[in-house]
Amino acid sequence: MMTEFVWRSGFKRLVLAGVTVLALGAGGAGAQILVIQPPIVLTPADTLVSELPPPQPGVSNATPLAADAPMPSADPRDLGGTWIHDQALAFRMQRDMYGVLVPYNMDGAKVLERRVVSLNKGAPYTNASATCRPPGPQWQRDLNMPFQIFQSPDVIEFVFEEYHGRWYVIMDPAKAPPPRQKEYMGYSVGHWSGDTLVVESSGFKQALWMDVDGTPVSANGKLIQRIRKVDNADHAPFLEIETTVVDPTYYTRPWTVVRTFAWQPALTSFSEYNCEEQIGDPTVDADAGLIPEPKD
Amino acid sequence: MIKSRPRHVTGAVVAGALLAAGIAISAAAATPDLQGVWKLAAPTKTLKPVSGSVPFTAQGRKQYEENKRLQAKGDYDDYDITLSRCNNAGVPRLMMTPERFKIWQRFGIVTFDFEWNRALRQIDASGQPPREDMLGRALATTMTGTSKGHWEGDTLVAETTNLSDRTLLDDLVPHTQDIKVIEHLRLVDPDTLEDRITIDDSAYFKRPWDAVLTYKRQPAAVFPEDVCLDRVQAHQAAFPSR
Repeated sequence: MMTEFVWRSGFKRLVLAGVTVLALGAGGAGAQILVIQPPIVLTPADTLVSELPPPQPGVSNATPLAADAPMPSADPRDLGGTWIHDQALAFRMQRDMYGVLVPYNMDGAKVLERRVVSLNKGAPYTNASATCRPPGPQWQRDLNMPFQIFQSPDVIEFVFEEYHGRWYVIMDPAKAPPPRQKEYMGYSVGHWSGDTLVVESSGFKQALWMDVDGTPVSANGKLIQRIRKVDNADHAPFLEIETTVVDPTYYTRPWTVVRTFAWQPALTSFSEYNCEEQIGDPTVDADAGLIPEPKD
Repeated sequence: MIKSRPRHVTGAVVAGALLAAGIAISAAAATPDLQGVWKLAAPTKTLKPVSGSVPFTAQGRKQYEENKRLQAKGDYDDYDITLSRCNNAGVPRLMMTPERFKIWQRFGIVTFDFEWNRALRQIDASGQPPREDMLGRALATTMTGTSKGHWEGDTLVAETTNLSDRTLLDDLVPHTQDIKVIEHLRLVDPDTLEDRITIDDSAYFKRPWDAVLTYKRQPAAVFPEDVCLDRVQAHQAAFPSR
């Protein structure tokens, strides 16, 4: 958060997210920039998380758009089309969109620790993705596989290739109230704030794994997504989705990550995803060889 | 008797005829609009030929009788992995699920969005080359196969090949990997969708045979999240009773 901007004789001072930036001189080519990073004080939870083995690196599958590809609607509120996460998959969300450490409390840090340790021992815990269940909105979107968006005034439906998944954003809760049974993808209500679609997701059937390593969100947690379409007239339109995690069970304050999703109409034809053929096999363990996670 | 339909007409003539018939046309170049929410008018577990009985070959009959024997014993996973493990029901059996489905049309791809287990199938009527296949996925059969389509007047004609023989045509009838399923999908009227299915699999059937499924339009809806594996794990039916 920007805290002040002060003019002092000959230099300007800016404090952003605890970092002091001094701009010396009149500006232009003669300006000098000095960045003063105060010592970072780690909480016990920060220390626990920072000492875990590092996550696997993800890879990006970004491909340029064909020159003759159809383009999205010029209407900034029309999100319809086919999109794909074009950044490297984050196996573990270690920092927020501002580069600040994810603000774990000790309960959250311990959950992450046990998940990472069990994974590295070759005995990962059961989770929705591994058992062919809907993995929650964040993981579902983050996977580098395409999805389509279909939009009406009352509901915006996301249809995913991976897990043959669905995510419904209800624009009129009176017409689509919360379901009687909680759902893996939760219940998501959206509204427009200018040209940004703000979606609040809550009421999850079970706790979420936000990523491969199990960054946790409790079943009572909430995700607030801000979705906007960006077109810089560079033949590379994309969606930007900021997700704010609100979960006092595991974190000391809300925190936000950001993802981009490239427009890719050529990926509208999905590959089949049929995890049930293996996971549903009655002759093998229903937990796919994973072990039950201890209850908090 | 099927009325003959003009096969080679201009887009404008088709558009005019369809508008006169009250059938919706999507904005792009007079492509008929099948979009909406649909549901089988008459639920059925059996794909019934339009005339006579299923024309099995000796080999097809033998496998069919074996499936019946396994069904009677309750050994579902030995012949029907959709029932036993929520495997994608495949083509054409997905078109017989008792719940609703939505049809979406975009960029020439027709997407069927099923309420049952959130299943998906697509018909590619774009005329574009297939997606780059770095992993060689097209070399293997899949439950929904590869469906290529084109429009003939108001009818979407789709041919599906490359189907896994791990699916059934319905709750008992088997097929081989060499099967070809041809569908003619059209709006009989604005609220009635017809899927005329031709099964062509010479190893199991003496000749191609047709079945017809009819659907009625439903109100727009947000489908409840259906997770078939949860039902099966709770010893409930993979296909919920109606």
